[in-house]
Amino acid sequence: MRAMGPVRTESVVLWLCVALVAIAGLAPIAAIAVESFRHNGHFSLNYYRELISAARFWPLLGNSIRLALATTAVCGLIGVPAGILFAKSDLPLRPRFMWLLTVPFVLPPYFVALGWARVVARIGQSASDWLFGFGGCVLVLSSVFLPITLVLTFASSSNVDRRLEEAARLVSGWPGVLRRVTLPLSAPGIAFSLVLVFLLAMGELSVPSFLRYPVLPVLSFTQFTASYDFGAATAAAVPLAAIAFVGVLVESAFLRDRDYRFQSTGQTLFISLRHWKNSLAALVATLCFALVILPLSALFADAFSPAAMDQAIQRAGASVVRSAMYSAVAATILMALGFLLGHAMRGGQQRILNFLTLALFAIPGTVLSIGLVRLWNTPSTWFIYATPALLILGYTAQYCAVTTRLSLAGLILIPISLDEAGRLSGAMWARRLFRISIPLSARTLVCAWLAAYILCLRDVPIALMTAPPGADPLSARILTLMANGAPPMIASLCLIMAIASLIPLAILARVIPSRGMAR
Amino acid sequence: MSYIQIDRVSKSFDERVAINQLSLHIEKSERLVLFGPSGCGKTTVLRLLAGLEVPEQGSIRIDGRVVASAGKNVVPPEKRDLGMVFQDLALWPHMTVQQNLMFGLNARRVQKREAEARVLEMLQRVGLEHRIDAKPYQLSGGEQQRVALARALVSRPSILLMDEPLSSLDDERKRTIASDLLGLQSQFGFTLIYVTHDRSEADMLASRTCQLRDGRVTDASK
Repeated sequence: MRAMGPVRTESVVLWLCVALVAIAGLAPIAAIAVESFRHNGHFSLNYYRELISAARFWPLLGNSIRLALATTAVCGLIGVPAGILFAKSDLPLRPRFMWLLTVPFVLPPYFVALGWARVVARIGQSASDWLFGFGGCVLVLSSVFLPITLVLTFASSSNVDRRLEEAARLVSGWPGVLRRVTLPLSAPGIAFSLVLVFLLAMGELSVPSFLRYPVLPVLSFTQFTASYDFGAATAAAVPLAAIAFVGVLVESAFLRDRDYRFQSTGQTLFISLRHWKNSLAALVATLCFALVILPLSALFADAFSPAAMDQAIQRAGASVVRSAMYSAVAATILMALGFLLGHAMRGGQQRILNFLTLALFAIPGTVLSIGLVRLWNTPSTWFIYATPALLILGYTAQYCAVTTRLSLAGLILIPISLDEAGRLSGAMWARRLFRISIPLSARTLVCAWLAAYILCLRDVPIALMTAPPGADPLSARILTLMANGAPPMIASLCLIMAIASLIPLAILARVIPSRGMAR
Repeated sequence: MSYIQIDRVSKSFDERVAINQLSLHIEKSERLVLFGPSGCGKTTVLRLLAGLEVPEQGSIRIDGRVVASAGKNVVPPEKRDLGMVFQDLALWPHMTVQQNLMFGLNARRVQKREAEARVLEMLQRVGLEHRIDAKPYQLSGGEQQRVALARALVSRPSILLMDEPLSSLDDERKRTIASDLLGLQSQFGFTLIYVTHDRSEADMLASRTCQLRDGRVTDASK
């Protein structure tokens, strides 16, 4: 009577999940790496020599790093204090401010750029010159990625056990408590958010491309689409992939031994802002107006005319349906995959899975897409390459980190003894999964599905590069139509897209318990 | 040969040694109370017996059969024929009392009609038949304790492990449940291994006590 039966089931399922992640994400990255070292069928460093000696490579790399650093700095300077303020203070309307600031992240990044382009068109040439360049890119990307810093700081500082803060409060004022207790204990979450912002800004394609700021992902994309030069495109993609891997490695090294888990009391300690309350609320409201309301209202201003809406439906109605369908299928796969991986990670196999999924999330979509096309564009795999399966694979690889982490965060809250009690009752792994873990994780699964759906829906590079011809999702379709479509029609399409993204966000806001947030 | 034999078992967590070359023999139908301060390794002994932890050294035998030996669990927890009452009780919050008790019987493929009869009988035995459709959060602390006990016993295990299940109750409730437990033990004849840091609980329940300190038995008495 050996313990092999149940272990085998669990292991087989885990290995199937790992195999899916490998096929969807690791194999394409490996394909890129191999391709970049091959020239005329032989090992060669030619592409790298050409890339490094090309006059534009170093300035482009410099621009990418500069843009990522500036975006990270802005997100850190605004997002960290705002996250702490929302988590720890009695600021009025906190939940509403927070969800409002989250809106740019759930839309394709170029929406905010498009909105600002409409704003500066009414101001004048000098504003336009500023927007179409480094400053504009930093502004737009900071608006788009600010929610990452904000939400992760909020979550990390909300999770700090209030008893630790109360103990410090007995001997220190609030500034001391925040500086010596809250911030150090929230540091892993904050650091993670900053690394993530840096890597996502580094790999962003649509905003720099729209605002005409030359960066490395744009070079990789144009090599791939315009010149169809696989070798050069992969060589340009490899540094981006390497930076993503190094970034995640650094993050993992920093988090090692700093992953504090608290026996949370379910309540957070509030700082009373007293006479600062109204002025801080006004400041946050101004921030919301400047970063969200102004550009998006400018973008949607022309969207409501029936003629524009009619034209939008005619030219991109099918893309709307496709977007919803592809995203729903991918979200379902991601929810299941994330839950199973989260389950395995909770069982202790955390470090390597965490690293792999996170690295795939941080790798630019352009890089992943080039790899996917390279890997699957063969006669024998045409059934994947020429169908939406390639797109779904791309979404799966890119976003499985999100559903995995969300699932893990939910699973950690379920006492391990509930599963152990099931085990001692004689239940095998699958029965315990379906009768205990899944029913207790219903809310987590809904959150994971919605988050995955939103991320797939807003995705641009994978949609642009891997969708089958004539079957592009809406985010890619709008980008294509922007070149020659009438602005009101584009605005209507953006509005449709925004509604499709904001409905799940609104549901998400209802599903996620706003623990510690006084309404 | 004793019914349960723990021979020179060691277990560490990271750098901390929880159990150090522990040997312990327990007879069938004995009521052994493992007693000692927090962190002395009492819970680890229960978890090793249950198969929820794997010993690094030594071996564990139940009824003459090796269930765990250095580095591996030979028999998985679900096949060891034991019940456990956890410190936090671990009642499944999404299931009713009846579903909590039925879960193990379903997993062991007991016929539905027989399973329902056994659940009802067990609930009557602990005085909770009127709470059969309640969810755990609708029960009082004492009722939850009794449901956890009933769940652990409904599949008629030959060994019952209890990990400080009464620690959160007042003295009167402790006495009531301890008396119920003794009644159940004499009726079903299971071997009871009970962990506590409370001397009075040990006195109420034990036919033998073992004191643990730093992962070793330091004192045993009848």
